[in-house]
Amino acid sequence: MISRRDVIRNLVISLGGSSLLSACGGRVTLQALAPDAGARFYGERELAVLSRVSDLLLPRTETPGALDVHVPALLDGLMAEWANAETRAQHRASLAALDEALGIRAGGDFLAAPDPVAERALAAVDADAFGGEPVEGYRDLKALVTQAYFATEGGAVDEQGWVAVPGRWDPCADR
Amino acid sequence: MADFDAIVVGSGMSGGWSAKELAERGLKVLVLERGPEIVPDRDYTDTIPPWERPNLDRVPEEEIERHYPKQYGGVAYAIKETTKHFWVKDDEHPYEEAEGTRYDWLRGYHTGGRSIMWSRQAYRLGPQDFEANEREGVGVDWPVRYEDIAPWYDHVERFAGIAGSAEGLAQLPDGVFQPAFALTCAEEEFKARVEAAFPGRNVIPARVAHITAATEEQRALGRSNCRVRDRCEHGCVFRAYFSSLNATLPAARRTGNLTLVHNAIVQSIDYDPGTARVTGVRVIDAVSKRTRTYTTRVLFLNASTIASAMILLQSASEAFPNGLANRSDQVGRNLMDHVSGAGASGLIAGFENRTVFGRRPGGIYIPRYANITEHDKPYLRGFGFQGGGTPVGAGGGVAGIGRAFKEAHRAPAPWRVSIGAFGEQLPHPDNRVTLHPSRRDSWGNPIAVFDVTYGDNERIMLAEARKDAIAMLEAAGCTDIRSAEVDLTPPGNRIHEMGSARMGRDPATSVLNGWCQAHDVANLFVTDGSFMASSACQNPSLTYMAFSARAANHAADLMAEGGL
Repeated sequence: MISRRDVIRNLVISLGGSSLLSACGGRVTLQALAPDAGARFYGERELAVLSRVSDLLLPRTETPGALDVHVPALLDGLMAEWANAETRAQHRASLAALDEALGIRAGGDFLAAPDPVAERALAAVDADAFGGEPVEGYRDLKALVTQAYFATEGGAVDEQGWVAVPGRWDPCADR
Repeated sequence: MADFDAIVVGSGMSGGWSAKELAERGLKVLVLERGPEIVPDRDYTDTIPPWERPNLDRVPEEEIERHYPKQYGGVAYAIKETTKHFWVKDDEHPYEEAEGTRYDWLRGYHTGGRSIMWSRQAYRLGPQDFEANEREGVGVDWPVRYEDIAPWYDHVERFAGIAGSAEGLAQLPDGVFQPAFALTCAEEEFKARVEAAFPGRNVIPARVAHITAATEEQRALGRSNCRVRDRCEHGCVFRAYFSSLNATLPAARRTGNLTLVHNAIVQSIDYDPGTARVTGVRVIDAVSKRTRTYTTRVLFLNASTIASAMILLQSASEAFPNGLANRSDQVGRNLMDHVSGAGASGLIAGFENRTVFGRRPGGIYIPRYANITEHDKPYLRGFGFQGGGTPVGAGGGVAGIGRAFKEAHRAPAPWRVSIGAFGEQLPHPDNRVTLHPSRRDSWGNPIAVFDVTYGDNERIMLAEARKDAIAMLEAAGCTDIRSAEVDLTPPGNRIHEMGSARMGRDPATSVLNGWCQAHDVANLFVTDGSFMASSACQNPSLTYMAFSARAANHAADLMAEGGL
């Protein structure tokens, strides 16, 4: 099976005409995620944090992962075109709070943490959000990443088996 | 000689029916639509897949604040980036509300009106609905009874295509049905338990205006069976759900008798006091702002409950100083809607390894039982519940990360049954729409001013509805029952406005007779929701269709006899 590191390695991007290189897992250079355009909303670190979190939340398995279907680029466009100033500020604040919380749990820079450490850090943040003291805005951010993922062709069709034209109604089907 | 035999103002739910019936009777019909043309091949967006809808199909927040604060505030679920063109911009079509009140006037101006965006729930009124006003001394007595309109329900159901099940319920008569969308396994369980615990209550499949077994007549109009996509708010390339754009207007057009003019905003109706007849309609073009008059032998107002009342009020003359056909002073009064804001949901166990396939257009319906089969109620009339029981999607709202989190979205899931009440609003003359004394819209017409509030009956009824909802979920063995405190929907929010030119037996207290014909003006008919003398609790569009078809054929009969 393909590894997360491979996934990230396979991502090739240009942001605003220049490559964004940042450390991820301390070993892998990346990335960027907009298929054909530079980030319009996110700063470099914001994009890198969102990308790594999206990948950890919804990794490539037998079906595409969040990075395969360009979730960070989708959210970048969403914030640039849909969100008003208040929503943008809240979103930035959520990302910043998450970055800080992940850094604390990773024992340093989240982006520089090895994969297993980063994964444990996000798992801890997630567990707190659903049972302990939540990081402000984390659950909304997670829901947004998830919604964006399942709105893509990879998420909807490949992962969820969404059918555009069901053509029939089965009220009690086998799972 | 008049330009047309008949003019129909409005091309929506009821206007399409008026036009179809009149044109099929051989009359030359002009339909005036105030909005632009909707061309399905160009303007329907139902075939755009999720990943091609910009920004998760969300309308930019600043655009909502600027153009759609009322529309979005009322029906956020329906206003998407790919559907916003079906809704008016509030800043271009303003209205006012009396101090301390709120009214949601939610609408679209275009071919087909709200028949494009409706929820397609289609129920007959029952005998009790036409009798209650007289029995209880509320409002005015309906000048018709169920038996008068029953054949016309048959008529419109056969043409429109209603998916439903025959249940034999007196208060919700069966009709001409195509196969219903079957209940889910959780809904079947809910039905069995509720009906066992409450013998006077029934849980039935929603009746919806969707074709499930297309007739030759429907196929000839290019219509075919519902594909179960849940894309109705975007239009339907299969023309599977009923709209005037999908069904009645094409039927009218094929007669060769239909002329449809867009961007034609009615300013007033011309009235000849010598003959006591309407002679024509003055319109202003929405784009060029040029004005002109179309003359006619008979006029059908189908502009919507609010707009038709406003047109009558705008058409004051020496003969009718309070507005055309308004000797009773009832035009604009008795404005009703349905009232919601009470309901509950709960998990129902035993179906975790089952799911559904397809996205049906309607769920369950619990017909009114209050003051029908149960008579211990502290309120008049009653309500129906709409809802459904389906698997609960994770939607990102569950704990976990990575593969486990991803796969949780297709893992066995609990099922939740949800029901919400739609209650009857009693008519009250103080609930009304009037013309603003000075403020005009971009076309020189007065803007609407709403003054509508609920009464104690609605408040008490919905509080009881919430208790009933919880009791039924408990009886069904549901767990994790959730029910928010009752929060009544604002008047207008159900988009079932009606009653602004009520029918009645007495010209002194009503605007229309039992044929939707103005008491005061023989060649004027109003067949949108304006005519309703009470609201019942069923979704009203099917009733508008039936009364429109009946009135149009009556008018055609009168014209053939020389009576108009």
